[in-house]
Amino acid sequence: MKVALVGNQNCGKTTLFNLLTGSNQKIGNWPGVTIERKEGELIHSNITVVDLPGIYSLSPYTSEEIVSRDFLLNEGADLIINIVDATSLERSLYLTSQLLELDAPVVVALNMADLLEKKGIVIDAEILSKELGVPVVTISALKNTGVDKLVEILTDKKTQKKKNNIKIFPKNIENELKNAENIVKSENKRFVFVKALEGDELFNESKNKEVTRSREIIEKLYGYDIEQVIANERYNKIVEIRDKCLKKISKKQTVTDKLDKVFLNKWFAIPIFVLIMTGVYLLSVGVVGNYTIELMESFITLVSEWVTTGLENLGASAWSISLLVDGVIAGVGAVLAFVPQLIIMFLCISLLETTGYMSRISFIFDKLFRSFGLSGKSLVPFIVGSGCSVPAIMTCRTIEDEKEKQMTVMLTPFIPCSAKLPIIALFAGFFFPNNSGLVSASLYFFAIVVIVLLALFLKRFVFKSQNNSFISELPEYKAPSVKYVSKDVFDKTRDFISRAGTIILFCSVIIWFLSSFSLKFEYGIPIENSILAGIGKLFSWFFYPMLGELNWAASVSAIQGLIAKEQVVSSMTVISGVAGGEAGIFSSAVFAGFNPASAYAFMVFNLFSAPCFGAIGAMRSELGSAKKTWLAVLLQTAVAWVMACLVFGVGSLFLMG
Amino acid sequence: MEENKIVSLSDLKKGMSARVVNVQSQNKALRRRFLDMGITQGVIVKIKKIAPLGDPISIELRGYELCIRKSDMKNIDVEVIQ
Repeated sequence: MKVALVGNQNCGKTTLFNLLTGSNQKIGNWPGVTIERKEGELIHSNITVVDLPGIYSLSPYTSEEIVSRDFLLNEGADLIINIVDATSLERSLYLTSQLLELDAPVVVALNMADLLEKKGIVIDAEILSKELGVPVVTISALKNTGVDKLVEILTDKKTQKKKNNIKIFPKNIENELKNAENIVKSENKRFVFVKALEGDELFNESKNKEVTRSREIIEKLYGYDIEQVIANERYNKIVEIRDKCLKKISKKQTVTDKLDKVFLNKWFAIPIFVLIMTGVYLLSVGVVGNYTIELMESFITLVSEWVTTGLENLGASAWSISLLVDGVIAGVGAVLAFVPQLIIMFLCISLLETTGYMSRISFIFDKLFRSFGLSGKSLVPFIVGSGCSVPAIMTCRTIEDEKEKQMTVMLTPFIPCSAKLPIIALFAGFFFPNNSGLVSASLYFFAIVVIVLLALFLKRFVFKSQNNSFISELPEYKAPSVKYVSKDVFDKTRDFISRAGTIILFCSVIIWFLSSFSLKFEYGIPIENSILAGIGKLFSWFFYPMLGELNWAASVSAIQGLIAKEQVVSSMTVISGVAGGEAGIFSSAVFAGFNPASAYAFMVFNLFSAPCFGAIGAMRSELGSAKKTWLAVLLQTAVAWVMACLVFGVGSLFLMG
Repeated sequence: MEENKIVSLSDLKKGMSARVVNVQSQNKALRRRFLDMGITQGVIVKIKKIAPLGDPISIELRGYELCIRKSDMKNIDVEVIQ
């Protein structure tokens, strides 16, 4: 049996899902869209619970709505648990009024009973149940009360066979709805008929003569269009039901209003935001983050030394040790090194989200970012991205609008991350010794200009988003639940390790192979004879316009930046070492050709071109399609190339002048 | 602003309440969202909070708060109550 969990955003749906299914969950993607679908087994039963995305209505306008609607209509649920947020009864019951038109029996879970008492409101569940004609269970997902009762009701055979038969519309509309039996051939007759009446083009019935006639009759009767009539009548009935079951309302100023006086204050809102984000930044990528990365790296070095000696003692061949240590452990280690930092980042983000502050961020900055086709929430990944693009890209999933989200995912890697700092330090330190600080700062400024220009380009030509709207609930502030936050952080971390880990592993092994073997598949050759060097020579023309010379070593180093951007510098060190440059990288023959113009150009290229595999993996999972990911990587590389060539050209003119 | 006068929701100032008289239908998807979120004829809305940069605006209706951009609010005709 399949039970679907349906409710508004922010109504405690995920918490209830976790309570119902415990740890028996699996996460998958919905076909075609990037919305995650969660399924789990109800504890001690053969019932599968499907967690549908948070929605306000079954209209076909947002991807969440389409996904939920398709599931309910096509795949079908044997029973629907509708979570109703008791603190916003009216808005929640609107969705209920649509669900009750489906064939599957509905059980209403009235959530957040405890919060309600605090606010001085009492809802009579019995009256609500009588009015809706379905079972209503009062629960608190947060405190785990009433959930046993809910399970008892939904496993009851009587509930499973019950038919929804509420008539929410006035007589004159209900009379027209009687035609549904004859006209709609599929299941969910009432729902399909109402949608067809509203002119929903996804149903062929909307063009049916009888339906058109019914629509005309109703529109004539009310004097305005059918969509407004149906929505009005739904809400009219809901208000009637609300008045019957609502016992007491107190009209005090809520805690939320008091907090918003500070957090949304005209003068303090932005300084407070800066303070909070500085805290998040310092915690995850600043002091603590760096410390944990160092710790993890020394641990990984320890493991690889241990594996090397272990395998040598076993008599393993040199290439197999190298594959394991330089390929697998180095590659996977590069991912694992981020994990402690990611956990802190996910923790901060989860806290910002569950407390309700994240919604405020987009409210505060919407006006600024809208002009570039981005969302107010794009600011968060940009800030986090100056530490590491991987967690930054993963925070993009909090952006509701699909276009704004995808643009933010594509633009986030342009922010110079901390792994790119060694590149800046090396080149700026050597070629601009007196102005290295100024040069580093100019690169961040460069990044911001590129992001704004590219955002405008994407908005205009790629996503063609003109005046998309911003309609979002401003939820009440809530104290975060330890249980929910820890589960959330655990899930996201596991997700990261499994998804990005597989990509990194695959790519690292390939790069290892290319740099360790010659074209004749000989092992233990100097790096300039490797396949990678061959590829470097093949691609050196690509770097010619920004370097002013054919330089395979610089090309190879840039390509190695795909594994991790630190790799660019370490690769240059290794190659110059092999080529005999004791006095420093730039005194060796292979890198002697660099001048200030090509140095700055090379920095620009490495900063803006395709990010590391970790970030590409994260982009892949957030964009939801390999094709879009490749396009994004190509776009990033193309922009980097053009910028670098321009910089070299202009820089060379200055050098000559 | 005079009471009972029909204006656009975007013309209201902070703290003012109004009754919705019509949701214009140039943009079908936007209008559908408004209707789904409870902005229907006769509902009473109050201008609750204004973002620090002056836009968007948070309005209170049906016991919850909804953020909308000023440009979208132009599509909502209201009758001022107070």
